[in-house]
Amino acid sequence: MIDVVAVGLICIGIGFFAAGSIGLLRLPDLHSRLHALTKADNLGLGLVALGIALVTGSLVIALKLILIWLLVLAASAASANLIARHALDRREQP
Amino acid sequence: MSAHNATVLSLAGLAGLWWLLSGGAPSSWLIGVPVVVMAIFAARRLGATALPGLSLPGLARLLPLFLWESVRGGVDVARRVLATPMRIAPGFATYPLRLHHPGARLLFANSVSLLPGTLAVDLRDDCLAIHALDRDSDFTAELRRVESAVGRVFGEAL
Repeated sequence: MIDVVAVGLICIGIGFFAAGSIGLLRLPDLHSRLHALTKADNLGLGLVALGIALVTGSLVIALKLILIWLLVLAASAASANLIARHALDRREQP
Repeated sequence: MSAHNATVLSLAGLAGLWWLLSGGAPSSWLIGVPVVVMAIFAARRLGATALPGLSLPGLARLLPLFLWESVRGGVDVARRVLATPMRIAPGFATYPLRLHHPGARLLFANSVSLLPGTLAVDLRDDCLAIHALDRDSDFTAELRRVESAVGRVFGEAL
């Protein structure tokens, strides 16, 4: 039963990764693309990590996966902000 | 939070982090203990202990809100880019900040990027420049709600 839930979570997570990549290709400008990368990919990673954590059977590995997710969350929010700010600065002073 | 309590708390937090990373092998503490001590020393030299009393009840209220909003953010952006034609009207907006503490502002700015339809671009002169995926949507109410929750963690009543 837990396996079914885990596979379900991982599949939905992969779906969000795919949506993030489709957004990256379809969206018209840099700032819009950052939306797809930060939000969809973070949710995808969270769901995949949660799915794997359910089936590891090890508390340490489950906690480690959550830690990885939190660190990636912080890193992607920070790097999206840096890219967005830099792109805006360059646009303001050509 | 006194300086003493802050040190004890970061000691416990870093030791827990090391335990998690090393998988709890006893011999790993040979490296872990010096690293934890050096990390606390480095953090103090960099002025990172200048945090106000973080409110744990405030944090307990922010976390579920943050998780729920980031799930909504992911679903929202996925639906927008998968629709034909894409339902977007990108544009910039300015959000006047009510938060004062630099740490609170940083936490809020980073949270904004995970909320539905908004991306933090720049923090300047008490204002947060944001990029909205749909500039006609009403994101201000949502930002104010998250800002208040962040304020409670840092003991700022908004």
